[in-house]
Amino acid sequence: MPQAMIRVEKLCKSVPTTEGVLEILRDIDLEIDAADTVAIIGASGSGKSTLLGLMAGLDAASSGDVLLSGHSLASMDEEARAILRGQLVGFVFQSFQLLPSLTALENVMLPIELKGENSAREKALQLLNRVGLSERAHHYPNQLSGGEQQRVAIGRAFATEAKILFADEPTGNLDTATGARIVELLFDLNKEFATTLVLVTHEDRLAKRCGRIVRLVAGVVSSDEKTSHEVDKKSVR
Amino acid sequence: MARSLELDLSGQRSFSTLISLAARLLWRDWRGGELKLLSLALVMAVTSVTGIALFTDRLEKALVLESANMLAADRMLRSGRPLPKEILIEAKTRGFQTAETLSFTSMAFSDSSNMLVSAKAVSDAYPLRGEVIIADAPFVRGTPIASGPRPGEAWLESRAFPALELKIGDKIYIGESTLRVSHIIITEPDRSSGGMVDNAGPRVMLHMDDVAATNVVQLGSRVTYRFLFANTEPEILDDFSLWIDEEFNSEYRLRDVRDESAEVSEALSRAESFLMLGSLFAVLLAGIAIALTAKRYSERHYDYVAILKTLGCTSNQIAAIYLMIQVVLVLVSIGLGSILGWLTHAGILELLQTVLAVDLPPAGVRPYIVGSLTAIVCLLSFALPPLLALRETPPLRVLRKDISPEKLSDRMPYIFGLGGSVLLVSWYSNDLLITFILLAAVTAIAVMLSGFSYALLKSTSSVGMKAGNSWKLAMSAARRRRKQNVLQIMVFAITIMSLLILSLLRTDLISDWQAQLPEDTPNHFMMNISQSQIEGIEEFFDENGIRGNAFYPLISARVERVNGKDPEPQGEMGDGGERTTLAGGAETREIEEGSAKLGREAEVEGEEVRGRLSRRQVTWAAEVPSDNRIVEGEWWDESASPGYVSIEEEYAGWLGLEIGDSLEFEVLGQQVSAEVSSFRSVQWDNMQPNFYIIFSPGTIDDLGATFLSTALMEREQKVLLNDLVRQFPTMVVIEIDGLIEQVQTIIAQVTSAIELIFFLVLISGALVLLSCVNATLDERFYENAILRTLGAGRRLILSSLVIEFATIGVLAGFIATVGAEASLFYLQERVFNQSFDLHYWVWIAGPLAGMLVIGALGLNSTKEVVRVSPLILLRRIS
Repeated sequence: MPQAMIRVEKLCKSVPTTEGVLEILRDIDLEIDAADTVAIIGASGSGKSTLLGLMAGLDAASSGDVLLSGHSLASMDEEARAILRGQLVGFVFQSFQLLPSLTALENVMLPIELKGENSAREKALQLLNRVGLSERAHHYPNQLSGGEQQRVAIGRAFATEAKILFADEPTGNLDTATGARIVELLFDLNKEFATTLVLVTHEDRLAKRCGRIVRLVAGVVSSDEKTSHEVDKKSVR
Repeated sequence: MARSLELDLSGQRSFSTLISLAARLLWRDWRGGELKLLSLALVMAVTSVTGIALFTDRLEKALVLESANMLAADRMLRSGRPLPKEILIEAKTRGFQTAETLSFTSMAFSDSSNMLVSAKAVSDAYPLRGEVIIADAPFVRGTPIASGPRPGEAWLESRAFPALELKIGDKIYIGESTLRVSHIIITEPDRSSGGMVDNAGPRVMLHMDDVAATNVVQLGSRVTYRFLFANTEPEILDDFSLWIDEEFNSEYRLRDVRDESAEVSEALSRAESFLMLGSLFAVLLAGIAIALTAKRYSERHYDYVAILKTLGCTSNQIAAIYLMIQVVLVLVSIGLGSILGWLTHAGILELLQTVLAVDLPPAGVRPYIVGSLTAIVCLLSFALPPLLALRETPPLRVLRKDISPEKLSDRMPYIFGLGGSVLLVSWYSNDLLITFILLAAVTAIAVMLSGFSYALLKSTSSVGMKAGNSWKLAMSAARRRRKQNVLQIMVFAITIMSLLILSLLRTDLISDWQAQLPEDTPNHFMMNISQSQIEGIEEFFDENGIRGNAFYPLISARVERVNGKDPEPQGEMGDGGERTTLAGGAETREIEEGSAKLGREAEVEGEEVRGRLSRRQVTWAAEVPSDNRIVEGEWWDESASPGYVSIEEEYAGWLGLEIGDSLEFEVLGQQVSAEVSSFRSVQWDNMQPNFYIIFSPGTIDDLGATFLSTALMEREQKVLLNDLVRQFPTMVVIEIDGLIEQVQTIIAQVTSAIELIFFLVLISGALVLLSCVNATLDERFYENAILRTLGAGRRLILSSLVIEFATIGVLAGFIATVGAEASLFYLQERVFNQSFDLHYWVWIAGPLAGMLVIGALGLNSTKEVVRVSPLILLRRIS
């Protein structure tokens, strides 16, 4: 049996509030294989972003564990999780999260430099070319449109050839047409790099592009279904 | 289960990657303007501290030189008996320059005339500091020379020439020796530091080797022996002083200019306190500016760090990156600040060229070290905490903006900032009292503000923005930003308070000095005048256009019994005893010298010492002398009967007196009783006749007093002294014009220094105000951009901003005024020896200035909000 790229075991997250302890996630179990594409959907406040944050090691769980490529996050401190993120994980965010004082090129170069790899510039230029922004390489984020900024963010996410890509509402800040183009780009690159993709969205259309849809209701997995894409993929194999 | 992926989880990232990342961050932040204010605050701290330190270092050296001139040495030892030669030998082995002088009064004869002169014999090395100004004709400016007369020669002061009918090359006779007159003395450096022996007549200076031949100095003669020492290292001078104390059981005391002149000492120590206080405020204000800008810088970097962490950067790497940025910042600020500091001080020197009478000696490296250390301490205590807080930024912030490392950043800056302030304040001031006063003032402000914020908290809580009119909008904005506003008011208040304290101190100090030595300060004292001579002297003054003053009776008296018992002095009179100075100064000095000389005998012959110490030159008067203040009891009215006495407060304390005590005096061999009716404070540094003991009229009037008076004589009138002394031969004239000129020069220099420091602190203060306004800009921009979007007019927004800032300004100004007056009370009474009076106008000017300045600054910084389109603003902020 191949090892799951992401394994979520009895994951719980609760936070203290003035009105007592609030349970955001309860006993989540998930297993995501390498190169799978999974959409996590749910209403506002259902806990989908919290789940994404925990799976990506951006936050620590109250109980349970997340294993990324077999590495248990529960046993790691923030320092170790940061190192793991640098080695394994890429991100695309709703609000792009580009560094405003870096140019498009520098933003893409940053994770490569952080990983300590050489030829960051060449790799970054190739990626910018791939996302169609080679002519805007030296522009700053505030000189780019929303769609362009998200392209840079996607370029940055693939820059270190991460095994896992987490995307949080990647089209949430974009108009429909631009959003659609971004989705195309994201899935194309995902296929090219054979990345495991976990995305949080409330858009059905986007969710249906994934091989599997996990629906959260009030912090609990209410359904976990394969889509036609997954069936197609399996039948092609 | 299959193997997990092969990952490098060591987290090892080459140091060069981190450096290059830090360098890029630094460069991009600089380019983006993020670092400019922080660097500016740091550079300002280094500039002001280095500039002030350079200037004060050089000025202090000049003042030390100038004041050393008053001793003709750095330190001096004086005695009425020959001094032990081993002190000179020890000084030489310690690498000192040494010289000896011997002063005595004697008759000098020319071939046709004679007069009483103050003779002074000097050794080859005299003077060690300063120069003797000599000339070949009387009453001219003369040229400086760094030596005394050679053996066989005599130098005389101008006015001795007409009196003795001499010219250069003539012979004079002192005792049994004959000397050739070779030069005229225009001034000598230590002329003013002598006692009666040095001021009883015009100076005749001769070589030490010629003294023996005169045969004038014999056992029991009234002479003053002096050893002079010079060394450029204050520590070596202090060590030597300790050695003399130990070796001679405090029989001899090494004296510096402060022991010699109360006036100069007071001016110098006040100036030093002020300069120190000034640079203290400059650096504290720069520290606040650094803290504010670093906080803003760090807040703007939370997202940055969260993204870096998301991308795999560890907390330690984040800390390393920001530490590297700080190291570069410190190095650049030190370099730039040192250059700017040098330029500032050079520019100020250029401006002050006409005022500064002396050439300033070059500064040492200390000012640069002080500036550099300040930058490091400032950064460590004010900037490090917010920057280190960055390290704790949770990566989850990329998903949830509301998460920030608040727990850490809340308390740390205050602890670090307070620690840094205490360190800096006590380091600069080297004075626990000042440290305490300043910290107390800051704490008081903090406490008052807690009360204020509590009041705000209690005030009706408002719902919504109250965007109906600008006043309500401003007030609701002020309430909503309560936490930041309270902090902002605190910073504004501390800044305004610092500026107020310095500005008021400066005004009070300068006006004090001007009042102390006005243009018409009398510069000659005349003593030993008999009642019958008064009229003649007054006529002489009138005829020659000399400005004379009142005649004070003067008589020597000793406290014999207090309430029928022997007086029991409490502790030491200390330097207070020295301060009788001009009114019979010589007499008092000799008594004091007696006490030093008798130090060891004192235990055995305590009674004799007490008796000698309680002898004073006393007077009687119908009215309180102008610069005296009654501190306890009552002055007699005009009709009062004889038999009362008023005592100077410190002297009264020394004798343990109380109002109503009955004193018995011995006055010229007769017994006089008087009741203590009042204690007085006396302004000893006003260069006027001052007295410890004043009797009511009629008490000692008939006991044979002589009189004392003062007069102002211009330089060209001094030749008239000869006629005056010839007409009234028993009169003794003490010339203090040289001393007054020296003090006035020093005060002029000190005044310029004070103005400069004030100016520098003003710049630091402005910087703090600006950074403080900027600190809340983002939120104000955001809110007002939204208001604009919702259709709020330009006028509504601008006026509400002005009202909000002006309200903050008024409050800050008021709190600052309270803090400033309280601090001034302690500073003036305890540190500057001034009397404190409330500055009524400041209670209006302080809040008003706060309102105007902060209103204008706030408006200037935020007016962009109505100029730029809301969309651009919102986009820029997000």
